[in-house]
Amino acid sequence: MRRKSVVAYALCGAMVMSMVPAFSAAAADTKKVAMISDTSISDGGWGMATYNAMVDAAKECGWDTMYSDSIAQSAYYDTIVSYCDLGVDMIYAPGNQYSDAVLQAADEYPDIAFALLNGAEDTPAKAKNGNVSSLLPDATEIGYIAGALAGLMSNSGKIAFIGGMELDTTLKKYNGYKDAAAYVAEQEGKTVETLDPVYSGDFSASDKGIEFAKAMMDQGADVFFGDASAVDSGARQAIDDANKAAGAINVFDIAQPSDLLGQNECIIGSQVTDNAGLLKLSMQAVEDGSFGGETLYGTLENGVLSAGKLNTDVVPEDVQKKYEDYIAQIKDGTFMGGEASTEAATEAE
Amino acid sequence: MSSFIANLILATVRMASPLIFLALAELYEERAGLVNIGIEGIAAIGSLVGFMISLISGRPGLGVLAGAGVGILVNMIYAYATISLCAEQIVYGMAINIFAPALAAFIYRVYFGSGSELVQANLMITLKQALGIQSDNFFVNLFLDQTPMVYIAFLLVIFTGIFFTKTRAGLNYKAVGEYPKAAATLGINVIGTKYLACVICGALAGMGGAYLTTCYSRTYVDGNIAGRGFIALAAVIFGRWSAPGVLIACLFFGFCDALQIRLQLVNSSLPYQFFQMIPYLATIIVLAAMGIRKAGPKSAGQPYRKEER
Repeated sequence: MRRKSVVAYALCGAMVMSMVPAFSAAAADTKKVAMISDTSISDGGWGMATYNAMVDAAKECGWDTMYSDSIAQSAYYDTIVSYCDLGVDMIYAPGNQYSDAVLQAADEYPDIAFALLNGAEDTPAKAKNGNVSSLLPDATEIGYIAGALAGLMSNSGKIAFIGGMELDTTLKKYNGYKDAAAYVAEQEGKTVETLDPVYSGDFSASDKGIEFAKAMMDQGADVFFGDASAVDSGARQAIDDANKAAGAINVFDIAQPSDLLGQNECIIGSQVTDNAGLLKLSMQAVEDGSFGGETLYGTLENGVLSAGKLNTDVVPEDVQKKYEDYIAQIKDGTFMGGEASTEAATEAE
Repeated sequence: MSSFIANLILATVRMASPLIFLALAELYEERAGLVNIGIEGIAAIGSLVGFMISLISGRPGLGVLAGAGVGILVNMIYAYATISLCAEQIVYGMAINIFAPALAAFIYRVYFGSGSELVQANLMITLKQALGIQSDNFFVNLFLDQTPMVYIAFLLVIFTGIFFTKTRAGLNYKAVGEYPKAAATLGINVIGTKYLACVICGALAGMGGAYLTTCYSRTYVDGNIAGRGFIALAAVIFGRWSAPGVLIACLFFGFCDALQIRLQLVNSSLPYQFFQMIPYLATIIVLAAMGIRKAGPKSAGQPYRKEER
């Protein structure tokens, strides 16, 4: 029996050891940034784009990178603290959902910088040690960039939005998308209605994306935009299947936050966010000791936001031209008759 | 039939199919007196291996077989620990749930590196596609626009129902889960039957996981099993440890999931979290209602010690 017990303990031990994340010590003089993500870095969407942003920024600044992806909500704080204990210089948390865990850890680790992508404007002020910065691409403007294209391309007059969780930034993207599509459609002499937003509840359920897209296409939606990571990939799969069955690309998808043109046939364009630029500014601030307490905005005007390449096989030439004009209007503040409200503009006021 | 109802029924079948594999896996295990709560973990590794083999070979069917194979391998850890070493079944089931998804994530990283490209594999084609049928009729979609895995799932339910109620081998199998010592005195190989149960369970759970990446979604994402292994446990209890009952339970849970997705679209006045609660709320209500009468195998969860009196 004793021998059997030893074997049982060995099996348990092997299982536990398999859960211990590998960590390779980097050179002591090289600064280190660690990213946490509740979605996979190979999700073909948000996780992929934000991971690439970290790698690009770190490469330019000469930093080492580490990451933990697909972590559960209950593990946000523990994962951050684990990296803090390993001596990283910066924690990079790409999402508003990490705010509470970041603030808690920031209180306990005053010497570590915390860069919260899509954090709220007031989050840095809540950090007692002033070691938290919000990197805030303008979510409303992101919605405008996608909505303008959706308004131009919708033939059915119905467009759809799929969210992962009901985050502030997600709601802003939805509202911007809806308002811009309605405005642009009106300019073109048609009506475009945005279906109510739906939420998968997490960012990994690509099967939910498939089901949401099928249900929304049943309701007549012909342009999709999403803020749900792998769920968006599932939605694109369903759209591609529907287009294949129809023998033509009639239903479109607008990707974000990197240029995903070519990943799926249904993608007609992308809203691109240069998260690497924002992160690079934060890394430089850490290096010169000025990090913390500020919100760095990303807009079309400062070049952090942009419209990606259009699928010229699907988007007609005149629509491409009109879209360029609308993007210029968003950039110079004349979009929607100058009534468009963006976060950076609101903050400036 | 309205388009809402028709699409709801089609979505129910899509969402119930992987659950049927997982619930049958648990049913075979529990009928042999083993409670395996590690179905979620086995499905996770089956999902990854199924995806990888499908991607490499370009043959989703091979991916499903590989998923079954790896499911058996992983479940042998549980089998050896709980049958030969008489270890606590719940603890080892939980260990599998932690170990197998971590192993899947590790294998994915080793194979695909830390690159962030979205990897997409081909899906198994449906009978409708294979026959080149163009019709969009509801019944054509319901009965023909399904992958072979869906037909296998439903045939397995029929086979399992007959096996457990109409065959001598099935009754012997059930006897192991009810009174293993009595079964042993009748010459039934209790240990062998329990190991066989683990092989069947591992294969079916691995196939259920592989279904998700070879028949449903073209991508593999960590966490894609999304609690289906635990819903399968509930389905076995809801189904009163019978194959037809398990089928009804899986269709019910699939229906609840499909319904919550569509209700989000038609009713924006209620918070979406309310609709997302529906499948889980239904699980709690059904289990509370069905749990009054104990109908499970008598020796489920108890170790079998041959030499013990």
